[in-house]
Amino acid sequence: MSMRPWLILGSLLMAVSSQAQWLNYPTAGIPRLPNGKPNLAAPAPRNRDGKPDLSGVWDVLHNRPCPPEGCQDMWIPQEFLDIGWSLKGGLPYLPWAAEAVKQRMAENRLSDPNWKCLPTGIVRMYTTPLYRKIVQTPGLLVILNEREAMYRQIFTDGRPLPEDPQPSWTGYSTGKWQGDTLVVESSGFRDGTWLDANGSPLTESGKITERLRRVNFGTLEIEISVDDPKAYTKPWTVKLTQLLKPDTDLLDYYCVENEKDRPHLVGK
Amino acid sequence: MLARLILSSMLAAAVPASAQWFKLALPGTPRLPDGRPNLSAPTPRGPDGKPILDGVWQMNGKYLQNIAADMKPGDVPYQPWAQKLFNDRQDGHLGWTDPAAKCIPGMPKLDALPYPFKIIESPGMVMMLFEGFTTFRQIFTDGRELPKDPNPAWFGYSVGKWEGDDFVVETIGVRQETWLDNAGRPHSDALHLTERFQRRDFGHMDILLTIDDPKTYTKPWTVKEDVRLIPDTELLEYVCTENNKDYEHLVK
Repeated sequence: MSMRPWLILGSLLMAVSSQAQWLNYPTAGIPRLPNGKPNLAAPAPRNRDGKPDLSGVWDVLHNRPCPPEGCQDMWIPQEFLDIGWSLKGGLPYLPWAAEAVKQRMAENRLSDPNWKCLPTGIVRMYTTPLYRKIVQTPGLLVILNEREAMYRQIFTDGRPLPEDPQPSWTGYSTGKWQGDTLVVESSGFRDGTWLDANGSPLTESGKITERLRRVNFGTLEIEISVDDPKAYTKPWTVKLTQLLKPDTDLLDYYCVENEKDRPHLVGK
Repeated sequence: MLARLILSSMLAAAVPASAQWFKLALPGTPRLPDGRPNLSAPTPRGPDGKPILDGVWQMNGKYLQNIAADMKPGDVPYQPWAQKLFNDRQDGHLGWTDPAAKCIPGMPKLDALPYPFKIIESPGMVMMLFEGFTTFRQIFTDGRELPKDPNPAWFGYSVGKWEGDDFVVETIGVRQETWLDNAGRPHSDALHLTERFQRRDFGHMDILLTIDDPKTYTKPWTVKEDVRLIPDTELLEYVCTENNKDYEHLVK
């Protein structure tokens, strides 16, 4: 197997604080079962304006089997390695992109921006097995991430996307409600972003649409459509599931604090 | 001195040119007849009468370099070991030990970065989003107490409450490796910060910062930092790890 997912896992594990230190504070407004446990199957909460409230601390859906030695604290989902794993035939790479992914995997992902503690970009923010917190306020949705203690703003005040923004890792995002779904449009990405650990590229011409729907109190579904004609033959869509982590909060996680893996990685 | 110069050049290295900043006509901004924001208009207030702190702000840059910039020499009440360490840090040879050199600024340096930050009030929590290092602070206003024995964190743990027109934020649990300023003032694990946010008018705010750290300073001391509103714009992305050239050149 040319992939070394356990190495990735190892790197992510390095700087994480152990679960025992996680904050334990009851989340306000959470519906509870008679035994006091959060009722995660309760209906999604709504704001005064009637729209669903997406606020909460969210974790990835752990859909990847654990290694033989057991599950790790930071347990990566399938989409961390391959964002297109659920697509029949995989991602519709253009030839250069298919070649780049092959090369990046053969090189043991040495050029992954993640190894250099650079930002993950908005797609990997969702697939990184660290928590993120959504804070929904009037006119603005903020996503606070444990990873690098970075944030992302999604403007819901009706402003348009900037026409020719300075390219950035996180891009620029605006959102509007369609029924109970928040539809987020993003552009303004910089070249060199990886969408997964296999190195699926995102270029400056990429546009991403996210459809966020809180199915119930404990579950958030995120449909991600990537339209990047410089890297893919056609737009593609995948669905991610996030699970609410009740009664806790974010801790800071700094990759630069203790990154030990990169010097030890050997590529072909 | 060298350390200060190097750090300030590091901080300057990755900043985008101002020509690329956003120009937005943000609603809710009082304006002069010519359309420019009226920065001396009265402090905006919410339905509860409390000042609204929301906005994009920028602190006077001198406090990052020297948190005691407005104090007289000799007024910082160092414990002997802290005075010695501060003195040792003056020739720059310890600059590499400042976590900020590796892209982690700590508190209270984070507030003092010479880049804009944004305050967003939400129910139960006030967020501060920083352009510098693209990072954030959460200040809980839901009535919770400070944690008793928290896992030390780079920005610590913060709770806030209103006292009259002052938003008062208490912070503990800051990792002790961080420096209070680029000049190298140290702190210990006993650091307890109190910030009083005082919005004077639409365009101006003071932060009264009290440093209470009996292991490092013989008594609490307070500095007043001035902050100005940056109207009609938004934060940009700043990624320190993208182009940090200084660390390898710092003398170790």
